[in-house]
Amino acid sequence: MRVLVVEDEKKTASFIRKALQGEGFAVDVCHHGDEALAAAAATPFDGIVLDIMLPGRDGLSVLRQLRERQNMTPVLLLSARGEVNERIEGLNAGADDYLPKPFVLAELVARVRALGRRGTESKSPLLRVGDLTLDTILHRAERGGKYFDLTAREFRLLEFFMRSAGRICGRMSIIEKVWDYDFDPGTNLVDVYVKRLREKIDDGFEPKLLHTVRGAGYVLKE
Amino acid sequence: MKIRTRLTLWYATILIVSLIVMGIGTYEQIAEQMQYSHRRNLWEHALDETSEMVLWVGLPAVVCGLLGGWWITRRALRPVTALTEAVEKIHDRNLREQLPRTHNGDELDRLTEVFNAMTTRLDGSFQRIREFTLHASHELKTPLTVMRGELETALHEENFTTVQKERLLNQIDEIERLAKIVDGLTLLTRADAGQVQLSFEPVRLDELVRESVADAKILAQPHDVRVTLDACEELSISGDRHRLRQLLLNLTDNAVKYNQPHGTVAVSLQRNDGFAELKITNTGAGIAPELQPRVFERFFRGDTSHSNAIEGCGLGLSIAQWIATAHHGSIQFASEPNKLTVVTVKFPGAGSPRV
Repeated sequence: MRVLVVEDEKKTASFIRKALQGEGFAVDVCHHGDEALAAAAATPFDGIVLDIMLPGRDGLSVLRQLRERQNMTPVLLLSARGEVNERIEGLNAGADDYLPKPFVLAELVARVRALGRRGTESKSPLLRVGDLTLDTILHRAERGGKYFDLTAREFRLLEFFMRSAGRICGRMSIIEKVWDYDFDPGTNLVDVYVKRLREKIDDGFEPKLLHTVRGAGYVLKE
Repeated sequence: MKIRTRLTLWYATILIVSLIVMGIGTYEQIAEQMQYSHRRNLWEHALDETSEMVLWVGLPAVVCGLLGGWWITRRALRPVTALTEAVEKIHDRNLREQLPRTHNGDELDRLTEVFNAMTTRLDGSFQRIREFTLHASHELKTPLTVMRGELETALHEENFTTVQKERLLNQIDEIERLAKIVDGLTLLTRADAGQVQLSFEPVRLDELVRESVADAKILAQPHDVRVTLDACEELSISGDRHRLRQLLLNLTDNAVKYNQPHGTVAVSLQRNDGFAELKITNTGAGIAPELQPRVFERFFRGDTSHSNAIEGCGLGLSIAQWIATAHHGSIQFASEPNKLTVVTVKFPGAGSPRV
């Protein structure tokens, strides 16, 4: 997989590149919007990591130009936290995903890998990880023949984990996508909810599915 | 005492003294004239004449003088009154507005000129402080991202012992905390600079309250605190959904965090005189009365020895206050140490939700 990283901050660009290369990606880096457009036109990338804040032509404008030129390469936007308008604008302009800064590096890598799988995700209403299934129509989870009552919030949280199964989910992403908060709540809301969810789906079952990744967040995997 | 009253009193004293001098003078004059007329009860007569003179001529003159004096000082001081009223309206937001000048070159015009120059300088300083904090919080973000990334990369690549790894992970936690503080500070400084746009729409406040109480109940479990929703009237206000949720979460989370084991948090939402009145009551240790006016200050922590143990960025209440004010509402904090602490938020324009 070949990825283009567009980030003006050289140090940030450099550790993103290292991390992606470490995972076996081929990585190109640009520091300017115009450079990025030229690079994207010359090479067919499998994914683009695009910072919104760029000197000169900003990330949103790069994205619009790309889509105008019928370039449909999947784009992951990096936005400043709390810039909800920018983010909505980005998604409307055709971004496939976004990640607020400062991000969890492991999560960024996981998201970039997921960019390549866009469109192949299962549209089935039944999500399955190991022996845990979640019925997104009946809002019901089942494991080992046992059904769990989930509150609305727990359901959304579990659905999010299951849709990103195997990928690290940072606390901030969970807050933004499950709670729809565009601010840092400054509480351990996520941890408390995850603990409750774990009591339901993992207690008394083996193997454990919901894991804590210290310094990063959580991951649901077999 | 007002300058006007004081001047008038002095003036009155002068007039009365001159009246006495005038009376004595008149008496002497009349008495001298009468010495030659060889009449009896001569002195008595002189006294009568004098009194009459003072009463019918002197007193009206004094009254006229007093009224005139009062009028003159009032006139002279009118620009000062106007200036005072104008200065009273100045606060840190409208420093750029200048006081009106008469341009007649008198002392007061000069005072206004100097005052205007001073507010302009102050405005400049405020502006620079705001810009500085704004830039500072923005500039801090990039290094934080870099630090976090570098630490994660290092953890991934190098072979560390468990102790070393734990140390690096602790650093990542601290970076997260710093990032939270920077976020809060950025929001507040941008709000100060008028750069945060709220998107107003009709919002069902009762629904948001129910939702945040549900979250607070979960947050309260590890603390052994009970959260109750005492009243929740159906009502809607015009507001920014995201910011209102932020306000609710900040306040309920504070009420849970600064509580005691087996404590309670009671939330109520009621319509009161056209206002939506939100009350969040908790049984925490509270804050000493002399410190209460400062609770909305940035980074204010009530009891420093106690609150270090509580995680938070120290900006929650400042942010809540900004959100309430941005909705043309008000927020009040009342606390009786070791009894009850009540935060009351009022939003204007509480309407019935459209069915």
